[in-house]
Amino acid sequence: MNPVIVGFIGVGILLLLLFLRMPIAFSMAFVGFLGLAYLNSLRAAYYTLAVDILEIFSSYPLSVVPMFVLMGTFAFAGGMGSRLYKAAYIWVGQLGGGLVMATVLASAGFSAICGSSPAAAATMGKIALPEMKKYHYDDTISTGAVAAAGTLGILIPPSTVLIIYGILVEESIGKLFAAGILPGVLLTLLFVVTVSILCRRNPSIAPSGPRTSWKEKVGSLTLVIETLFLFLFVVGGLLVGWFSPTQAGGIGAGGALVIGLVRREFSWKKFILSCEDGLRMSCMIFLLVAGGTIFGHFMAVTTIPFKLVDWVMGFQLPPAMIVALIALMFVFGGFFMDSMAMLMLLVPIFLPILDHLQLNLVWFGVLVVLFVETGTITPPVGVNVFVVKGIALDVPLETIFKGIFPFFAAIIMLIILLIIFPGITTFLPSLVAF
Amino acid sequence: MLRTLEKMNHYISAWFERIGIIALLLILGLTCVDVIAAKLFRVPIHGAIDIVTLSQVVAIAFTIAAAQIAGRHIQVELFVSRLSEASQVTIDSFIYFLQLILFAVIAWRTYVLGRALQMAEEVSATLFVPLYPFVFAITLGCVPVCIIFLLKFINSVIKVLKR
Repeated sequence: MNPVIVGFIGVGILLLLLFLRMPIAFSMAFVGFLGLAYLNSLRAAYYTLAVDILEIFSSYPLSVVPMFVLMGTFAFAGGMGSRLYKAAYIWVGQLGGGLVMATVLASAGFSAICGSSPAAAATMGKIALPEMKKYHYDDTISTGAVAAAGTLGILIPPSTVLIIYGILVEESIGKLFAAGILPGVLLTLLFVVTVSILCRRNPSIAPSGPRTSWKEKVGSLTLVIETLFLFLFVVGGLLVGWFSPTQAGGIGAGGALVIGLVRREFSWKKFILSCEDGLRMSCMIFLLVAGGTIFGHFMAVTTIPFKLVDWVMGFQLPPAMIVALIALMFVFGGFFMDSMAMLMLLVPIFLPILDHLQLNLVWFGVLVVLFVETGTITPPVGVNVFVVKGIALDVPLETIFKGIFPFFAAIIMLIILLIIFPGITTFLPSLVAF
Repeated sequence: MLRTLEKMNHYISAWFERIGIIALLLILGLTCVDVIAAKLFRVPIHGAIDIVTLSQVVAIAFTIAAAQIAGRHIQVELFVSRLSEASQVTIDSFIYFLQLILFAVIAWRTYVLGRALQMAEEVSATLFVPLYPFVFAITLGCVPVCIIFLLKFINSVIKVLKR
């Protein structure tokens, strides 16, 4: 049978297995293995399966993943998120919608030490939602803001999605991290402006919190100094070339652990639980990468990605239109799949097209993060929404999704801005040493 | 009997994960010490990359079962959860069977690869550590995963047959 037809049948079986609830990593490995066995030989498929798994598990570039994941889990267990929220609350809580703004700002701060979107949403949800409830904030804006602000976790460095993207397209992780900074700051501002507009239109949805003095404001800076220092040391060290990505992650995880110990936030149990959490998350990512690699080898044998280039180029569409179509695929896929799974599935397929168009892969990486971000907050499987629902049990899912809509519009606005002004993304990477 | 086997398997998986945590902390500690030694004293640790990559194999392989038990592997929940319970159980039994086959093949083929590396006396690049024990670690890590899927498959089939 023609390899291209086999490839399409493989994609069909993959989608069927995904819809039948087989974990995405295992589905990709299984279909990839079967496809290679059919197109090459069973012997070759056995070999590829074992060697791919060994190579992924022992990959030094991938060792950055457990380090940055561990940094996030230690920061979470060490109470850094709650201290960031306290500081933001003291600074902006007294404004109309101030507690929502505090949530957005604290999420941005927490994202600077944690690279996971659901982790950022969970951290802020546990701290901010009870506070906003206390001050009679409308559930729509409070839950929507927490879920949406969590998306900053994978945009502001360190970001697990940018790390895996960097490994897939062989781009410098330092440059990708640098590229995420300005869009991350811009998205934070867009979220704050969104809150401000919503509160002006209807001040009753988010009343002001208690007033705070300047003494309290200045004093609260001690709560964020450690986070700022850790971010500057780790991400700054990576950007100027002091550390390799793995070293930066290791220093970050070590630093977060030391801060937690000094603050007396860690018990033995908490330490073990955060190690377990970090290791399980890393294991999930490694298996996803291994499954994606095996599936990618199958796709390469079918020649579909290369045929796709010829097919797409045959339409003679402008590059912006092709990027828009790829974006639509990501956003549509994000309705059904997790961000990391989307990345593993779609990036290898579209990479030859991106290469052919000679697009800046760092710029496109940030766009990809924004595309998959939308998936984490849109129905039916927006993971951040379910995280928030798990905390705010009395709030219906529809309310959270309704609350997300204005923030979703802010993300779309940022995507448009980054397409019109690519310099927002590419300026900082151009200054990075390597 | 199935329940006892499941308990034993969870116990083994938990111990495997503890070994994984030790390997992870070794990576963390070594990376930090390596950075400090290299930046402050200009003496990087010899073979740090070998130790990191080989420890990583142990950390990840020994955590697959615990991550599976904790439900950490991402799946699409959208469609099957809307079907009747009978259909769900039937589909689940089929999917558990496929996953059992997949992990049995991975265990078998990593064992074969490990034997091949042992025969060829393959070693790591810097410290010349034999590679085959780490490939066998993947095989070993897959065993409790196979048992998880086998037990889930048997339980699903029993449920289907009882209906």
